Amino acid sequence: MIARLPSLLLLVALLAGWEAWCRLGGLSPLVLPAPSSVLATLWGEIATGRLWPHLTMTATEMALGLGIGAVVGLGTGVLLAEFPAVSRLLRPYVLASQLVPKLALGPLFIIWFGFGMTPTVVITALICFFPLMENTLTGISEVDASRRELFRMLGAGRLKTLLRLKLPSALPVIMAGLRVAVVLALVGAVVGEFIGGRIGLGASIIAAQSVMDSSLIFALFIVITALGMLLYEAVRLIERRILHRFSKG
Amino acid sequence: MSTEQPKSGFVTIERASYRYDAAGPTVVDAIDWTIPRGEIHCLLGRSGCGKTTLLKLAAGLLMPSEGAIRIGDEALAGPSPRAGFVFQAPTLLDWLSALDNVLLPVSLKRRPTIADKDAALDLLERVGLADFAMRRPAELSGGQQSRVAVARALIGNPDLLLLDEPFAALDALTREELQDDLLRLCALNGTTALFVTHDIGEAVYLADTVAVMAAGRVTHVRRIELARPRHRDMRYAPGFIAACRALRDAMDGAATASRRPAA
Repeated sequence: MIARLPSLLLLVALLAGWEAWCRLGGLSPLVLPAPSSVLATLWGEIATGRLWPHLTMTATEMALGLGIGAVVGLGTGVLLAEFPAVSRLLRPYVLASQLVPKLALGPLFIIWFGFGMTPTVVITALICFFPLMENTLTGISEVDASRRELFRMLGAGRLKTLLRLKLPSALPVIMAGLRVAVVLALVGAVVGEFIGGRIGLGASIIAAQSVMDSSLIFALFIVITALGMLLYEAVRLIERRILHRFSKG
Repeated sequence: MSTEQPKSGFVTIERASYRYDAAGPTVVDAIDWTIPRGEIHCLLGRSGCGKTTLLKLAAGLLMPSEGAIRIGDEALAGPSPRAGFVFQAPTLLDWLSALDNVLLPVSLKRRPTIADKDAALDLLERVGLADFAMRRPAELSGGQQSRVAVARALIGNPDLLLLDEPFAALDALTREELQDDLLRLCALNGTTALFVTHDIGEAVYLADTVAVMAAGRVTHVRRIELARPRHRDMRYAPGFIAACRALRDAMDGAATASRRPAA
């Protein structure tokens, strides 16, 4: 807690400066609302319960997108690492699919899947797929050659080598990929809602923009940031648990 | 133990050659070698002379481009289940305890039984790590990690132990302790061993026979006529020093000979 004190003090100082600037500088609240009014708006959204359906929707999209993207990414990474022929065949296509700006696929996904949750989940999953695939592939290919020879010497088959050597060795790298994916999942879910959402934090931002309610937009920023930090910390916790199990340092 | 007559070979290497690719240089060049059961042979040579490649051929990790390798009566067609291999680095799995690392060869095949665990603990005790069975590799010193690696190679009572400069990274005193441990463990079950090293003293201390390698060939062979069991004082005996001197001369001679223009 003591270690976090300076960064908390900095936050208070920044907020105080912002508040003073808004009050004394005569800035229009439409351009930059004062922190006090943002907090009041946020509290209003929480107290009336208007916030919850939006928060639930975005969190669900994020979790589903992250879950699907991570599992498929992990599986593809393993497949490409284990079968170099498949890797040579598919790698350019996988790369191309990731270089297409995925958010630009939003309108197409609305035609395919309709409005609602599905297009946003698909976009989020597509975004989360890549860091997991790339890190799994890298982690598995970097397994030390003499340890692989050891497993050959011990007569371990392909599956045993994967499960008992390659995946545990690659775990720290895979978990780093998962952390990156969490951050990207939030971007995917919020921006996905910009395009096709009716409910959700991203959709609420668009709604607030249409009535020029910048105070509400700022309040939603706070909620989105808090959601992201919460999920990031949750993944850190899981990561520490698993890594601790696998490698006491 | 050290009769001059060649006994029937347990490990037989017959005109084995190895090239990484058909047009490439010959790393191991038509080597004939025989190790009688229960003997310890050392391959001595500078880096890049092909000694590690020859060891991997004997393990079945590499297949000879020409020639054949037999262990007992079987021709080798892949990694031999009868051989234990100790690598240059300890190659322990960081996420397993010392005990589980020793049990790895067993646990890859089946669930280890109480008897397996007792055997592993017994081996750990023999290499002086009885109190460290539950430690992870990161909590062990380099010497202790090497001891775990040796114990792991011995868990199934292999007929043949193959070692690739396993103690090269250790300090001189730890290295001598490990050499004594290794000799004791090999004597216990009459294990045959092929030991690769670039350290002349290590080769003489461990071996019944030392082969000097250069440019993929065996250039010099020397029987070591020191009594067994060997102990520390022998390192300063005239016979030991003379053997070291002769091997050093052989290595220098080999180096000059191999400095001929490359093919």
